[in-house]
Amino acid sequence: MLGFAKGMAYTFKQLTKKKVTHMYPDQEMVWPERFRGIQHFAPEKCIVCNQCARICPTNCINLIGKKSEDPNKKGKVIDTYDINFEICILCDLCTEVCPTEAIVMTTNFELASYSRDELFKNLEWLDDNNTNVRGGDA
Amino acid sequence: MGAYLEQSFGLQNSLVFILSAVVLLAIVLGFVTYSIYFQRKILGWMQLRIGPNRVGPFGLLQTVADVLKLLLKEDIIPKAADKPLFIIAPVIAFVPAFGVLAVMPFTDKLHFADVGVGLLYYIALSGITVLGVITGGWASNNKWALIGAMRSAAQMISYEIPLVMSVVGVILMTGSLNLIDIVEKQKEMGMWFFIPQFLGFIIFIIAQLAELSRTPFDLTEAESELISGYHVEYSGFRWAFFMLTEYVYIFAMASLTTVLFLGGWLPPIEYLSFIPGIIWFALKFVAIVFFIFWLQATFPRMRVDQLMQMGWKVLLPLSLVNILVTAVLKTVL
Amino acid sequence: MSSSTKLRTEEMLLNVGPQHPSTHGVFRLIVKIDGETITEAIPVIGYLHRGTEKLAEDLNYTQIIPYTDRMDYIAAMTNNYMMVHTVETLMGLEIPERAEYLRVIVMELQRVASHLLWFGTYLLDLGALSPLLYAFADREKILAFFNELCGARLTYNYMRVGGVKWDAPEGWIEKVKEFVPYMRKQINDYHKLVTGNEVVINRLTGIGVITQEDAINYSLSGVQLRSTGMAWDLRKDAPYSIYDRFKFEVPTETAGDCFARYKIRFREMQESLNIVEQALEQFPKEGEIMAKVPRVLRTPQGEAFTRIEAPRGEIGCYISSNGKDKPYRIKFRRPSFANLQVLPKLVKGQNIADMVAILGSIDIVLGEVDG
Repeated sequence: MLGFAKGMAYTFKQLTKKKVTHMYPDQEMVWPERFRGIQHFAPEKCIVCNQCARICPTNCINLIGKKSEDPNKKGKVIDTYDINFEICILCDLCTEVCPTEAIVMTTNFELASYSRDELFKNLEWLDDNNTNVRGGDA
Repeated sequence: MGAYLEQSFGLQNSLVFILSAVVLLAIVLGFVTYSIYFQRKILGWMQLRIGPNRVGPFGLLQTVADVLKLLLKEDIIPKAADKPLFIIAPVIAFVPAFGVLAVMPFTDKLHFADVGVGLLYYIALSGITVLGVITGGWASNNKWALIGAMRSAAQMISYEIPLVMSVVGVILMTGSLNLIDIVEKQKEMGMWFFIPQFLGFIIFIIAQLAELSRTPFDLTEAESELISGYHVEYSGFRWAFFMLTEYVYIFAMASLTTVLFLGGWLPPIEYLSFIPGIIWFALKFVAIVFFIFWLQATFPRMRVDQLMQMGWKVLLPLSLVNILVTAVLKTVL
Repeated sequence: MSSSTKLRTEEMLLNVGPQHPSTHGVFRLIVKIDGETITEAIPVIGYLHRGTEKLAEDLNYTQIIPYTDRMDYIAAMTNNYMMVHTVETLMGLEIPERAEYLRVIVMELQRVASHLLWFGTYLLDLGALSPLLYAFADREKILAFFNELCGARLTYNYMRVGGVKWDAPEGWIEKVKEFVPYMRKQINDYHKLVTGNEVVINRLTGIGVITQEDAINYSLSGVQLRSTGMAWDLRKDAPYSIYDRFKFEVPTETAGDCFARYKIRFREMQESLNIVEQALEQFPKEGEIMAKVPRVLRTPQGEAFTRIEAPRGEIGCYISSNGKDKPYRIKFRRPSFANLQVLPKLVKGQNIADMVAILGSIDIVLGEVDG
């Protein structure tokens, strides 16, 4: 007969305990260093090796390189770089394979929008997404 | 109030009736609003959450916002529903819930109708609500709603009997069905009925929870089994009426428990009688409401067959024993 | 009832799901009911089918790992392991010590997290609201560990062929060490809160009884099998990784009912915590976390099947390789799918409330059932 009384005592004790709710929109979320958020892309570092696009399990990265304008430099520079966040699963594989760390994870994660089109992020947007970069100072 | 009832029907006293009914309705609505708030806060705190806190200071206006949303919501009547019954069902459910409050004495002066058979009136009227529930469940033309309605019919009828039987002990000891007399008797005896009628009190608490369909007896709604039982097809203000019924019944049942077993407006010791009776009433009342929500935070739901077994095989015999013992003691002593 | 007053009765066909709150996802069950008694139940699955096995044929081995996260999304770590373990077996790789320990720690923590989630939702199915919140608060602590370790809370993508992606961050091991006694205390509190409650006991004892014969015939595994008195646990009976180094017990019950499964899951949590504690004690101070693997993973021609003990039962992976960097065919043995098959038999003759309790006690994850 005492079984449920123990349970009631337990719930009663919880009344005054510290609450675990995180006041999310009022308080910012603090993520650990390794958190996988939206990528930051640094075009100047990119060597157009295409590895990120190839490793991506969902094929959400599209990139086009072009000849460098500086004739002394060898190799290509990046022209367009798009990530489709409708299908990106933030698996971290692109940043893992990138030899120059041109693409890195940030801890920004807020992607909600009113239109699907807005989830298609281009080079400029990904370049500007330069806060809370993994391994960075900011 | 009683004096007005004996006058012939005229403009002045009908105005008084209407006004006092409106005032009571306002109080009841205020109670419902804040008991929902109270419930959500209590549940939140017990579950390591903080409960509503966005609308108004401390979330005090949360329920108001919710009700407003319900009132503004599109009125949906399913195509296959039985339209007249579908519309009338919430009304059938709500009217008796409000009607039972007429006989409830809040203090020795503050009451509406001083009816000789007050307790009988309360129980008889509250039995009608189940009709509204069945009607709603049937008219929705939804299988889940039907199962919920049948469950609720079975449950309410099964538990009505031990509920009535458990208060017979109180009636025997008082010798009256009048709720005011019952409190007066407790004053005269110097102790509240939950002591001499302890068994009856326990049965009453269990049966009233079943009547209210609160956890652990919330089988009629059972969102994880029946989605929401009888009101699954309802939305907007019709759904709000069912909810209102539920919370008005909490108000009524908590008041009734206070009056029958906890001495109504009486202070626990004579020394404290300088505090007005209404405050004592409110304190006891809040304690019971808290208890109901506390159970909700702790208990899982009972199974329908076990519920029936408990009603018929445990509570009913126990309440009959209670009546027998009370009657014997009353004759002997 | 005499024939003269015979009422016309009819069976009702009730459609439970795919949006029913107690089907834990998009599972659909068509039940024929007579009153509240179920006379027949027909499960309909496939609402969450994404064709993982077919998709994987077009992906290289590293790319498949995030897909395995999404099968049993409640216990993604064991899924990760199941997949990389098969590739490693096929390639004959040696895994560094430190990586093995990290894997065992996260897999056992995952088992605790998975059972916690089951506990919360199961009690919610039974109508109790609070245990869900308590269980989630504790599960959140484990998820925070995972988040710190690999940067995600649900789809970890943590393991790699040949090791793990990340080493434990500074202070992580210590934090987990502190967590173990805390979790033990919490489990005791759950027993106080729920296990002793008479309503719970009455609802769970004697319903959904699986006999040992049935369990074997239906190829049930994990808790389902152990609740029938069979002490079969791959960690003990066919040790993989470094499980042979730890002392732990395989909890069994003989009743085979929902309450037996309930009790086993709690004891498994305790055992998992024991393993975590031992693994943390033995955790090598330093060492590699990745074996030497070629940049492009190519498995030799051939096939391999490995199975491990996931929280939900035996999860297996079969890979047939023709020497390329992609599998020719990959097949997952998904325990939820196998365990679910016994449901129609179990719910027959029970009432609707019991159906919810039985389904909950099987502990399915729809991502895994549908694959």
